[in-house]
Amino acid sequence: MNKLSFSAKTNGSDSLKAIISAISTLVEEATFVATAEGITFRGMDPSHVALIDISWPNSTFEKYQCDDDIKFGVRIDEFSKLVKRANKKDSIEIGISNENMLVVQVGNSKKYKIRLIESSSTDTPLPKISYDAKIELNSSILDKILGDVQVVSDYLTIKSFSPNVEFSGKGDLGEVTISMEKKENEIMEVISKDVVIGTYSLEYLNPVVKAVGTTANSITCEYSTAKPLRMEFKITNIGRIHFYLAPRVEN
Amino acid sequence: MGVELKSLIPNEKTQLNKFSSKIVAIDAYNAIYQFLTTIRGPDGNQLTDSKGRITSHISGLFYRNVNFLSIGIKPIYVFDGKPLEMKSTEIKKRQILKSRATLNYEKAKLNFNIGNMKKFAQQSTSIKDSMIVDSKHILQLLGIPYLQAPSDGEATAAHLTLTDQAYAVASQDFDSILFGAKRLIRNFTLSGKRKIPNKKSYVEIEPEIIETNKILTQYNLTRRQLVDVGILIGTDFNPNSFHGIGPKKALKLMQKHSKLENIPEIEGELQKIKFNDIRKIFLEPNVTNISEIKFNEIDYKKIEEYLVNERDFSMERIKSSLNKLKAVTDRKKQSLEKWFT
Repeated sequence: MNKLSFSAKTNGSDSLKAIISAISTLVEEATFVATAEGITFRGMDPSHVALIDISWPNSTFEKYQCDDDIKFGVRIDEFSKLVKRANKKDSIEIGISNENMLVVQVGNSKKYKIRLIESSSTDTPLPKISYDAKIELNSSILDKILGDVQVVSDYLTIKSFSPNVEFSGKGDLGEVTISMEKKENEIMEVISKDVVIGTYSLEYLNPVVKAVGTTANSITCEYSTAKPLRMEFKITNIGRIHFYLAPRVEN
Repeated sequence: MGVELKSLIPNEKTQLNKFSSKIVAIDAYNAIYQFLTTIRGPDGNQLTDSKGRITSHISGLFYRNVNFLSIGIKPIYVFDGKPLEMKSTEIKKRQILKSRATLNYEKAKLNFNIGNMKKFAQQSTSIKDSMIVDSKHILQLLGIPYLQAPSDGEATAAHLTLTDQAYAVASQDFDSILFGAKRLIRNFTLSGKRKIPNKKSYVEIEPEIIETNKILTQYNLTRRQLVDVGILIGTDFNPNSFHGIGPKKALKLMQKHSKLENIPEIEGELQKIKFNDIRKIFLEPNVTNISEIKFNEIDYKKIEEYLVNERDFSMERIKSSLNKLKAVTDRKKQSLEKWFT
């Protein structure tokens, strides 16, 4: 690609695939912001229960150029389809063409162009919370826990009291409790100020954890009793990917 | 009636859920009038309660707004104030049409002509003060804000988009565009089939969005010039003033001559209307300002009391709508928003 005022080339395709599919669990249309520092995305689902905040610094790209700050909107499922055409090792280069199309070069030979949409997003703030508990765990362990709980419940309750953590769920069918403690390669960290309990909807948690999947080495969950949960996915070559989820409050 | 801009205006089909979490300023009289004409029985009679009071407008406002709120759309209704003096000719004309329709309705009734009864009943629809009171009451119970405009409601609705307090105006009339609305939504309702009045056929109704800036760019006009195009076609303030000028010709004349005063073809006729005053109505309208648009809690209990006990709506249907609405809004309450501040 030449003469584009903005272009960003990834090393491999896994991280981009993971990000795009994480975003697609929340919104249909996504607005990205590119500046000289890198690319950012922030968006919420229509009912404002969950939020994704991504920052992707220029240093994590194989090649990055952005002369002027730009905002560009895409239909996320369309973008996702193109990105999925990449093999694991393919680099993906994105840019904006003169005719205002999103150019996606997959590997060395494939070049897609898709229409951009008018970006309508307003500035989304971040929830201001002080977190009383922090759990770091292996992403596949978390995926398994969510699956275990979903068998009986639509909600996941996390109860932490260092060094222990308990995941549970309760529904019409019955209930489940999974007790764990700090353990190498599984539960890397449990820090909890006293006993901290939070309940969150699996309807939102499951898709995003599945979407990012094993691309993330580990996942850090921070939360406080009856307050939102913040998950940080540790992905190589991504600066920050945070997922916020409002707590379920009993009526 | 409003200005006949339709043929000039490219519209884009859209869906209601695109307006989720957006504030939309709704032309209240336009909406209520539609409910009164369309929510009717086969003989053309409106819905009434046991005391014989009309309830078509309440029914329309209730079900449509329950729908909006469920989708997360934030409606604000703008009511017309006093009509401007300059609109009097158009208003008189409408009054005559209505009284003629009322006579024809009585005639059809004597002859048991159901088809004509419905047709003339619809044509004779008028909005009474008590209906405005009912409408404001149901909106208030739903926690939906409304504004009283000094004159044209559309002007104040358009103004809300200019101050970025609302995303768009919803009305069937195109006047909002002349009043400067950034966006106009027509058919602001769920997609579906609607009967064409007086015909036995149906049309598919879908919401459409019109972006004023796109129109101006496409025709290379300023907003001032678009107002001039409207005057050429004929607005409520100068109905039938230019003979033989339709939308297409009006546009061509404006693109060629750039303002009314420069068009040789209309020199004589132009002097007969106060075109500068009409321009001013659209470009510098008298509007209501509001510092903050506030949405209140839905009063489920009072809604049920009002609709079921006072106005004889079906308890079963009202309860089921309210339950659905409550489920959605309860879910919304569990949102991140309260942690932003």
